[in-house]
Amino acid sequence: MASVSIDNVAKFYGSHQVIHGIDIDIADGEFVTLVGPSGCGKSTLLRMIAGLEEISDGDIRIGDRVVNDVPPKERDIAMVFQNYALYPHMTVAQNMGFALKLKGESRAAIDARVKEAAAILALDPYLDRLPKQLSGGQRQRVAMGRAIVRSPQVFLFDEPLSNLDAKLRVQMRAEIKDLHQRLGTTTVYVTHDQIEAMTMADRIVVMKGGVVEQVGRPLELYDRPANLFVATFIGSPAMNLVKGAAGNGGFVTEGGVVLPLPAGAAAGAVTYGIRPEHLTLDDAGFRAEVVVIEPTGAETQVLARCGGQTLVAVLRERVELNPGDSIGLKPNLAAVHLFGEDGRRL
Amino acid sequence: MSDLALSSRKPAATLNGYRIVQSISVFVIALVVISPLFMLFIASLKDDRFQILADMGSFRAFWVDNPTFNNFREVGNFAGELAFGRYLGNSLLILGSTVSLGLVINSMAGFILAWGSLPGRALILSVIIALYVIPQESIIMPLLIIVSRAGLSDTFTAQILPFVASPLYTFLFYQFFAQLPKELYEAASIDGASIFRTWWSIFMPLSLPALATVSILMGIETWNQYLWPILITQTDYARPISVAIATFFGQDSIFWDRAMAASVLMMIPILVFYLAFQRWFISSFVGSAVKG
Repeated sequence: MASVSIDNVAKFYGSHQVIHGIDIDIADGEFVTLVGPSGCGKSTLLRMIAGLEEISDGDIRIGDRVVNDVPPKERDIAMVFQNYALYPHMTVAQNMGFALKLKGESRAAIDARVKEAAAILALDPYLDRLPKQLSGGQRQRVAMGRAIVRSPQVFLFDEPLSNLDAKLRVQMRAEIKDLHQRLGTTTVYVTHDQIEAMTMADRIVVMKGGVVEQVGRPLELYDRPANLFVATFIGSPAMNLVKGAAGNGGFVTEGGVVLPLPAGAAAGAVTYGIRPEHLTLDDAGFRAEVVVIEPTGAETQVLARCGGQTLVAVLRERVELNPGDSIGLKPNLAAVHLFGEDGRRL
Repeated sequence: MSDLALSSRKPAATLNGYRIVQSISVFVIALVVISPLFMLFIASLKDDRFQILADMGSFRAFWVDNPTFNNFREVGNFAGELAFGRYLGNSLLILGSTVSLGLVINSMAGFILAWGSLPGRALILSVIIALYVIPQESIIMPLLIIVSRAGLSDTFTAQILPFVASPLYTFLFYQFFAQLPKELYEAASIDGASIFRTWWSIFMPLSLPALATVSILMGIETWNQYLWPILITQTDYARPISVAIATFFGQDSIFWDRAMAASVLMMIPILVFYLAFQRWFISSFVGSAVKG
């Protein structure tokens, strides 16, 4: 195992810059998720760590070694690809043992390591099968098995669950997390799915347009988003954001509704953020008109309109509401987020 | 019967009409292709070379009254002037060597063009495609001079080496390799495979359809070579069967009977070669390599 240090790393394709001087330090044994929308540069950064893309500027260190010019095979990393990239003509055992075979390990040693990895991933009954004879989840496990037999210093995952259906994704998410807890290998995991990022990572790196927007523990990012992008990207349903201006009597929205502000709130706020679960039904709150009600059993999502703005509230209790009803919504003042003109948290 | 029922029958009738036209077209095309081969086979079973000549141009060319394998026996035993076995052996040796070396060289070149970090790759590819339009005949005289000066006249090397590397087959391999998922190459490089190992252990086993296609095309091309071997061979040592058959067409007399039998015998190995590889044309199991 080893730490990974990304120091002022940039990437150019010709004159087009896709990564703008990124700094991230990943501790030994840490599970870090790179998350962001398509085209934010997260996969490019991962591929630069893997050695599959050249580094235009800056340094990447694995352990104490700068690996900028080290070929992928000498970086002591293992990568799991989105489309698995299993060798279709090789059996599961051959796929898993290929890297060890190339290292010149003995057949007995390869067999032992493959069996060990297969036992961890419950792949023992499938060792003689070809990838085409396996389901999507099994193939993904083989891809992980191929990575773990090598006992690398760093695991790299490039959107490994994107090709799986929703149910399997949840199952595999737990398996990967469990695997990390058992092996303790430093892991860098790329995803566009913020739920995956939140549930699996020790720390999340939120990226946009080749720039790091925020780095932090999942709940830090959820509770204290650094800017509007992180505020909307992390959390589902997304945070309610209301435009307006902070005054003495509260936050006056563009539609003229006055929202309560926490004591000592910074002046100059132009965006008022409140997460859906931090709105509660209260007749003393501001008035809103119910548009849609979505009961899911455990909770009820209410879409309501207030001063020309649509807000989402997630209510834990079961409520009898109908479209067109007038309700009072009260924000939890301790959970109000205020953002300035530049979109940064105040 | 309702209108609906009537209208639903009409497209079926059109479909049948279309199928009949389609079947007739296929039958006619098949007839045009097969009839010369059939005529050749029938002629090879006729004992009288003058009769073969007389039958050509009439329906008697497709019929034999007293079939005999004498021509085949004569061709096989004609050890003096025409050592048939020797020529057949020569052709097989040239075929085997050219195709096996050609598969290695062209697939390697195609692989590097598709995945290697080669400077000027696009330019090289353009040059290779441009080379394909140059007809072999136009370079045959300079090639003859080069091969002669190299002291390779009348050798197998002279008949194998110039045809091993081909722009067409390199391009075919390039196209096939380029459409395989990039992640296979990347996974292999992370696993520690060298570029040679990646080509040999990962991409070649996945390329059976391309290997079969190139084998068949290259095999047929090599087997049917005529102009080059006639220029480069002076003795029986390395002379292939295609040139040997020409010896039946003498200045004074033409041995149609033996020429026909020899032609049939010449077709058999390449037919077997084709049948051996053609099933790989269709099959491909790469699709299941990636995605669930």
